[in-house]
Amino acid sequence: MIILAFLSIVFYLLSLYRGFFIYPGVLMQAAYMLMRGIQLERLPLVGPHDTLFFLSSSLVAFAIPFTFSMKNKKQFISPVSVIASALVVFSLFAKAHNRPLPPVLKTYWFELHVSLSFFSYALFGIAAILGFLFLRYKEQETEALQYKAVLIGYCMFSLSMIFGGIWAYLAWGTYWLWTPKELWTTILWIFYSLYLHARLKKEWVGKPSVILGIIGFGITLFTYLGVSLLMKSSHTF
Amino acid sequence: MKLLKNFLDFFLSLRTAIWLLLGLILMLFFGAVIMPSREEFSTINSTPLLGWLKDSPLGATWWLWGSITLLSLLAANTLLCSVESLLKKRQHRAWLLIISPQIIHIGFLFILLAHFLSSAGSFKNNAVAYEGSAFLLPNNLTVKVNDINININSSGYISDWAVNIEYFSGNEKIKEDSLGPNSPSFYKGLGIYLKDIQPYPLKAVLLEVTKEPGAAWALVGGILFMLGTITLLILKIKREPY
Repeated sequence: MIILAFLSIVFYLLSLYRGFFIYPGVLMQAAYMLMRGIQLERLPLVGPHDTLFFLSSSLVAFAIPFTFSMKNKKQFISPVSVIASALVVFSLFAKAHNRPLPPVLKTYWFELHVSLSFFSYALFGIAAILGFLFLRYKEQETEALQYKAVLIGYCMFSLSMIFGGIWAYLAWGTYWLWTPKELWTTILWIFYSLYLHARLKKEWVGKPSVILGIIGFGITLFTYLGVSLLMKSSHTF
Repeated sequence: MKLLKNFLDFFLSLRTAIWLLLGLILMLFFGAVIMPSREEFSTINSTPLLGWLKDSPLGATWWLWGSITLLSLLAANTLLCSVESLLKKRQHRAWLLIISPQIIHIGFLFILLAHFLSSAGSFKNNAVAYEGSAFLLPNNLTVKVNDINININSSGYISDWAVNIEYFSGNEKIKEDSLGPNSPSFYKGLGIYLKDIQPYPLKAVLLEVTKEPGAAWALVGGILFMLGTITLLILKIKREPY
């Protein structure tokens, strides 16, 4: 099964030369997750191995539609492929969680909450890549696409938080807990609310909002990895 | 008159919203740094927030007071901006596009209201119960724990559980219910949750009784936020140039 993960890295690296190879790359990732899901009899979404892998495949899966409206696809596919490969490599170094899930995690709320979170993280990552491309090539379309990525990511992130709140209420009796993870998640959500509101003002469109979009992904990474690995919370790996 | 105009101008400004959001991010950032390092925060989740804030030192909680102040200003800003937008653009042709951000705003305000209600009037208490034992709820009803069923898989992990309970008012049985994973028992505004379970030497459960007065408002707010967000997304994406 691990061969599929290695093959995805090979295809992503090949896509640096021919963008088309990004498709078999993401298919290999989907096949790996499918097989792992069948083996575990659940969605593989627990622990750094599965979540890094899922984030990598989500990044590519959401990046593909963005390429359709781009003039220069290659300059976007290349950083996406490099980051996706890096995430797969990191995931392979992390220990896989192969134990059965505790009863409290056996619910659709958990699957919705986690998968939507990672979809939104992937979209925030895409927004950051588009931001860097805008700063480098100054093409207006990348700025507009960054806004699109943030808008879709923000919607998914909001849904994830709402589903997480419903699940927490059913599981623990409260929809909100004061833990570092919840605080950082709120910081992230308010940050992207700030981005969306700021962009309504003309003076923020362009470089300022693009820089916000890049900073946002830094907060995303810290919220996902930094808080989960370094701080004590209900979301600790 | 001029003072009122200045007041309205301040609260009706998008610039105010941006600065308030930035201030809130900074406050929460300080909170995220302070919270893990101060002992006082170990009890923050077990008592209502407003009571906890009153009893805790300002040196640890200043960022929370700051966040509450900024959130109050943001709530006023959100409400006034939404009302103004609806009044100004009520004749607009793309009516759904105009109203969907306001639905998101109303959802946000409901969620804030929920947090305020829970911060003021939530309740939490724990009870250890064995099969056949009973305990008293704050509303004077008695809960009897009948059966504790635990499934343990071949690896020795608990894979499922169910606890059957009965509510009594005096000697009269008024309700039967079952607790399961993600399936608490609700009755007369109180929720009963299973927090821990012990299969040996005697089957026992740690139950938590909670009252969360903001929960229903949070759900309404969440649904409105969801509806507004999805509508806005669909309409906005169609209008984007790329």
